[in-house]
Amino acid sequence: MARIRVGPADEIQPGQPAFVTHGDIEIAVFRLDDGFRAYRNRCPHQQGPVCTGPVSGTLVATADTDWRLAWVLEGRVLICPWHSMEFDLDTGRRIRAQSERLRAFPVEVESGQVFVQVGPRSAASAARQRA
Amino acid sequence: MTRDSRKPLGLDDVFIVDCDVHANEPPEALAPYIDMPWRRSLELLGRGPQRYLDIPGYAPILNLDPPFPDRGLGNRTVTSARQMRDELDELSIDVGILFPDNLLKIAVFPHVDYAAALGRAYNAWLADAWVSREEGLYGAVLAAPQDPKDAAEQIRTYGADDRFVAVYLPVAGLRPLWGDRMYDPIYEAAEEMGLPVMLHSVGIIHPHFPFNLEHVESRIVRHPINHEFALMANLFTMIANGVPVRYPNLEIVFTEGGVSWVPFVMWRMDKEYAEIPTGAPFLERPPSEYIKEMYYCTQPIEEPERARDLVTMIDLFDGRDKVIFASDWPHHDFDHPRKVLNMPFDAQLKRNIMGETARRLFKLPVPVPVA
Repeated sequence: MARIRVGPADEIQPGQPAFVTHGDIEIAVFRLDDGFRAYRNRCPHQQGPVCTGPVSGTLVATADTDWRLAWVLEGRVLICPWHSMEFDLDTGRRIRAQSERLRAFPVEVESGQVFVQVGPRSAASAARQRA
Repeated sequence: MTRDSRKPLGLDDVFIVDCDVHANEPPEALAPYIDMPWRRSLELLGRGPQRYLDIPGYAPILNLDPPFPDRGLGNRTVTSARQMRDELDELSIDVGILFPDNLLKIAVFPHVDYAAALGRAYNAWLADAWVSREEGLYGAVLAAPQDPKDAAEQIRTYGADDRFVAVYLPVAGLRPLWGDRMYDPIYEAAEEMGLPVMLHSVGIIHPHFPFNLEHVESRIVRHPINHEFALMANLFTMIANGVPVRYPNLEIVFTEGGVSWVPFVMWRMDKEYAEIPTGAPFLERPPSEYIKEMYYCTQPIEEPERARDLVTMIDLFDGRDKVIFASDWPHHDFDHPRKVLNMPFDAQLKRNIMGETARRLFKLPVPVPVA
């Protein structure tokens, strides 16, 4: 398990991830309302640079919205720049296709510095880590 | 050194011909190549506001959708041969067949002379600034359907240039469909010059079948109708009017429709033909036999839950030497060659799809063998 320093926490703004590399793995760290998330910059669809896409919201129409269009999850939806596939930044899961997800890494904040833990895939994907 | 045959083929192990990439041609770029009085029109358009593939009088689309934030990121353009070569290198693509961007909608124009002039200007611009055997960038001669005799002249002119290897038949907004006898001069010229014809559609809203889609509120409905359904409709008419019978040496290629509709059309037409053979009096064999002899580009490649179903699908139309790779670069729904190469095809089928079949079809130079 490697611990990679990303940089000062206060320099990572919402919608503007910080990128670090570990070997041939590129990782983006996003700030959400309750902390940070780190994901591999590779889309599970066609391996596009998903984390370079914009962070936005999405449209839904459900029973909860009385089947009318509603704009939801503003600031939480990562859109792949290749084919516009949408991922929930909170969970890493693809919106409306929960079996697909981004590879996540644990994030820690220590003395104002952000770190990601990079280890075996199974350990990294086992649980969503909050910091 | 030879590669280990037990290892899966990688992008660098195969010769990749991309049968559909798009050169962006803003009106001001074509202005120097077009006849008067149309030069004045393109100069005016070049000075006016332009949106992505949405330029009234040049690339009419009639976009009725409300916009939402951060969509439309796929609005990429490639504006020079150098940029195209560099980006195809990034994708490990050896050869690209060029199609237009804005002029994908050329069939919509009611003004015959304007459409023909646009076609001539595009072909001249392509010859001047884009096509190059050394760079692996080849042209498809744009055949403006509004003026088939002029299009036939273009095919004969550029067909003599070995940097042009196909004829582009626009599908979006076309009337009548490509089976109509009025297009015979185009087929005659293409067959004479040994150039395959390639049907290519695009999204458009227009009151011509199958584009009367102004009432449809979702792009997820319009997009496949614009593409796959349009190709199917054109193929039906080409079979019924005997294009492959009357031009037996003409190769016919369908672009940007994937492959999964081919067995449906084959079997459906055979069923109709059995009942109504007088509806296709030119045919000497059942429709499916002609359809099996045509070519189908992969993009947008189907991504079934069980990937092996795609292999089955191709076998249903004996397509092992009829399916050819296309990426549609740089459009929003492009396929990375890795996506197609990693499908569970056997090694020979992979080589066929990625480049070998297209190399033979377009009579491309034999590449230096990869290690």
